[in-house]
Amino acid sequence: MSNKRKLNDIFYQFITYISALISVLALSSIFMFVFIKGSSLLDFGLLFNDYHEKYYNGGFNGDIDFSLTPEPDNLEANEFYSSMWGIALKDAKDREGNAIIIVSYISKDSPFSNMYDKNSVDIESSIVIKEGNIVSKISYYDKPTSLTRYGAELMIKDLDTVTDIREVVYTSLGGGIRGSLLTTLFIIGLTLVLALPMGIFTAIYLNEFAKKNKITNLIRSLIETLTGVPSIIYGLMGLAVFVPFTIAITKADSANLISGSMTLAVILLPIIIRSTEESLKVIPDDLRTASLALGANKTQTTFRAVLPSAYPGIVTATLLAVGRIIGESAALIFAIGTAIKDDVSIFGRSTTLSVHIWSLMKDEPANIELASTIALIILIIVLALNILVKLVSKKFITKIV
Amino acid sequence: MDNIFSIKDLDLYYGNFQALKSISLDIDRNKVTALIGPSGCGKSTFLRCLNRMNDLIENCKIEGKIQYSQMDIQTKSFNVIELRTKVGMVFQKPNPFPMSIYDNVAYGPRCSGIKKKSELDVIVEKALKRAALYEEVSSRLKDNALGLSGGQQQRLCIARAIAMEPDVILMDEPTSALDPIATLKIEELINDLKRNYTIVIVTHNMQQAARISDKTAFFLMGELIEIDSTDKIFTQPKNKKTEDYITGRFG
Repeated sequence: MSNKRKLNDIFYQFITYISALISVLALSSIFMFVFIKGSSLLDFGLLFNDYHEKYYNGGFNGDIDFSLTPEPDNLEANEFYSSMWGIALKDAKDREGNAIIIVSYISKDSPFSNMYDKNSVDIESSIVIKEGNIVSKISYYDKPTSLTRYGAELMIKDLDTVTDIREVVYTSLGGGIRGSLLTTLFIIGLTLVLALPMGIFTAIYLNEFAKKNKITNLIRSLIETLTGVPSIIYGLMGLAVFVPFTIAITKADSANLISGSMTLAVILLPIIIRSTEESLKVIPDDLRTASLALGANKTQTTFRAVLPSAYPGIVTATLLAVGRIIGESAALIFAIGTAIKDDVSIFGRSTTLSVHIWSLMKDEPANIELASTIALIILIIVLALNILVKLVSKKFITKIV
Repeated sequence: MDNIFSIKDLDLYYGNFQALKSISLDIDRNKVTALIGPSGCGKSTFLRCLNRMNDLIENCKIEGKIQYSQMDIQTKSFNVIELRTKVGMVFQKPNPFPMSIYDNVAYGPRCSGIKKKSELDVIVEKALKRAALYEEVSSRLKDNALGLSGGQQQRLCIARAIAMEPDVILMDEPTSALDPIATLKIEELINDLKRNYTIVIVTHNMQQAARISDKTAFFLMGELIEIDSTDKIFTQPKNKKTEDYITGRFG
């Protein structure tokens, strides 16, 4: 008998160990995957660059003032410098993996700092090559054109032999996620402003003011059901209700950031209501009776005594909400669009980081590296927000509670 | 005859269960009245009638007359909020709010509309001094009240009630969760307070009732068996049941 008990014991313990191990492995492998795939492309340029590259065609009018700056000391072996033109170039790869020639240094008195824009009708307009720009083509009057595929070294050699240039074709580096990042942060703010007060007040109504009867229970179970509804259904609702609504009352004429936020707010409501209500439920009735016995009325009791004690629960609700906003993609494809923008556009289509990932992956061939990098950035944002909220609430709670 | 409370034929039902049966008694102003009796005899329920805390319980039906300073408090039009500012209450378990000591004491005055900091400062200091807590906490008024010991927390709850300048303080077994030393302090405090306040205290501890109260009422099975001066109840009770209870034959 005792042996059987022992075996049973070992068996159940073994199951708990194995389950814990598998869970930890599964979770950490997600992190590992994203980190390994994505960390190579991670740099600050990615965060701040435009997504769309801009094309420039530069040319020279009249005499060219050549550079007098000697080669800087800090150039590396793969950077090639033309002292006449005051520019250093090097071979690199862009975010899609294609070979490019990138400007790694440009002197202050370089002739490339004063070119006229061949694409502009205005003859006086001047354009400038900056560090980080990609030079794709330089054509001359009396020599074959220098192209990306011949490499940076040859391009510099060609430059050193000429005194005039017909045209420089260069682009700013694209593929950045600044627009999507800003849109994500903006939408987090707007959605929380919409959803948090409404959710918290609904929870207060349900838990503190509503009579405990069948109707309240029905409302509560409806809210619980809403938590499980797939978000793409909310997206359809956003498309059918909020998009026309925002078009009607704002200057937007398509899916936009406001309709996206409204849709997300509706998705978040059940989550916020539930976790706020849970935290209100565990507050002991002692606190309410103590307040009422001091001559406080129901409203004062709720907002001065009960709500401050529910603060940790509300923080958790907010964190869950932020996580959900960052992670949401299906609903947003309808409600905010998939257009990748370089800045926050409130009244037009735009995209958050998650939808940005989806856009990258639906292309052929899919850019898994960049998608993983964005995923890594999302993870970092979520982690940072978590730590921030914990720190802030710790300070706040030790003061109040 | 100076009765602050006068109760006539009070019946109280929780649903179908009758918890109080035809209670009639008067409570003297500026005296300590102790309510004793075994668990479930209705003494706490009776206490909660005096500031209408039973309103919070669903299915609770009250019949009869409770007069506070000649006013009938059971009528619907009676201002319960005002009653509760005049009739304060201290509970069995110390239940300070999870906020600073200062905010705890200032809670009631703030709720009744006092906003001025200087005014609140005076009220808080006075209340804490009256509750014999000021010296212990004066240097840490901004600290969280939950960091105080159980006895200090209970005195804070008394200070919180005093801050409202009540006439009556109801105490529902205020020392049952405290150790003997903290209990002694609370009892000394009650002795001090009875000069200014009427105190009605529910207690399980018969020695405590004998030590601190002027009058004692004995409840049994929802009925008031006997009420008299404490000396008489403990030395020559009229009713056999009272005698049995105080001599420890049951309960």
